[in-house]
Amino acid sequence: MIAAYPDIRVESSSLVVNSASDAVDSATETVSDHDLMLAVRDGDLAALGDLFERHHGPLFGFLVKLTGHRNAAEDIAQTVFQRMLKYRHTYRDDGSFTAWMYHLGRRCAADHFRKSNAAPAPTDPANLQDHADETPHAGDRAATRDDHALLHFALGRLDRDDREVLLLSRFQELSFAEVAAILECSVGAAKVRAHRALRQLRDTYFKLQKEKLT
Amino acid sequence: MNCTEAQERFADVLDGRLPEAGTAEVRTHLASCPDCQREYSSLAQTLVELDALPAAKPGPALRQNFYAMLEEEKNSAASIAAAAARHRHHTRASVWRWILAPAGAGVLALGGFLLGSRYAQPVPGAGMDPATKQELADLRARVDSVGQMVGISLLQQRSTSERLQSVLATLDQKNPDQKVISDLIGSLALDPSTNVRLSALDALYPHAGQPIVRSGVLATLPREQNPLVQVAMIDFLVAARDREAVPELERIVRNETADRVVRDAAQRGLAQL
Repeated sequence: MIAAYPDIRVESSSLVVNSASDAVDSATETVSDHDLMLAVRDGDLAALGDLFERHHGPLFGFLVKLTGHRNAAEDIAQTVFQRMLKYRHTYRDDGSFTAWMYHLGRRCAADHFRKSNAAPAPTDPANLQDHADETPHAGDRAATRDDHALLHFALGRLDRDDREVLLLSRFQELSFAEVAAILECSVGAAKVRAHRALRQLRDTYFKLQKEKLT
Repeated sequence: MNCTEAQERFADVLDGRLPEAGTAEVRTHLASCPDCQREYSSLAQTLVELDALPAAKPGPALRQNFYAMLEEEKNSAASIAAAAARHRHHTRASVWRWILAPAGAGVLALGGFLLGSRYAQPVPGAGMDPATKQELADLRARVDSVGQMVGISLLQQRSTSERLQSVLATLDQKNPDQKVISDLIGSLALDPSTNVRLSALDALYPHAGQPIVRSGVLATLPREQNPLVQVAMIDFLVAARDREAVPELERIVRNETADRVVRDAAQRGLAQL
């Protein structure tokens, strides 16, 4: 019976991997993120341009899902790179650039929510019709788009902390140890929180689908 | 393995980062338990759809704002370094001023005394014959001409500290006339001392609004050899928003033999203009 469902090990559909590979220039791929950031720390500010090109897409995608708002996501992504410049001296020799970036992203998002003085409102599915749909099979595009909108809506219904841990845990380039470090909790706690968030998302998403059908 | 134990390990199986062997027991249980299959399948489907959500793409403003911010940071870092370098030069210049100015004054006083004691002789008597008078007149004319040449030469060979002082003196003038402006541009173009040229450029900053000043700096830039002064000139033209400087800055950027610092400054300048 299990075989009737798609393989649970999601392969190339990870938004991180796809978006990053779109944006990455193969010429700069040879230098690791870590080395580029060390160069920025040592005064070669132009190296931050390479890091921006590699990572701003995935970071923006994460922030859109986290906040439910494109404009807010752009503002926060901008602030993340601003802070990278401002706090470049604090980047550690043994650091992981991606983990550091999402750590900053999480902090900047928290500041954003604090400033706006309001929890992120669940995204209205009606506002998501203009989201890019890159599905190559156009036959069931409308149905797929509806599902995407419902899933966005269900994501918006999660607590922000739950949404955060769930999204971070799906980034294949982050280990659970790094996710735990970003969330400042143990690996075990991060796994439990991510799984609990997934169950909540599933419940909400399936409920919305049933409501749509009826 | 019972249902509770199996469901507790769903997170590991769904994560997909554990090796197959580590999840074999869960899979065995799933194969024989319809309830756990339903639970597992619904979670797996949710994850698949979550991962399949199309990635939102940022608008062009994010990239534009990022690079504008990066340029600003580079400029501020460069300007801090340039200001520090300039401060070091000024400090050095002021030290030389204190040492050279008294020494120069002493040398001039001594020279004046020696010249005076040599040439200030009593007027010759009236009983001199015409041939001697003519010879004396010729000699005087020749001496006068030599004196003028010495004077001009001395003027041109004033010490660096004196030239620096005369440039710095113009800073106190609120509305200097065109002669002063021309002299400053001349110093910027021709003075052999880097410090004097930098000081002249500083003195020209308040008058950057005048087209003649911008043209003068722009015309001087191609002849300048010192990277420090070149960078200062580029900063001046950028600060003055002189779009006529664009072709010259492009030439510098293309010139692979130019100093890297100067080319970077020109590149930044082009981005701002």
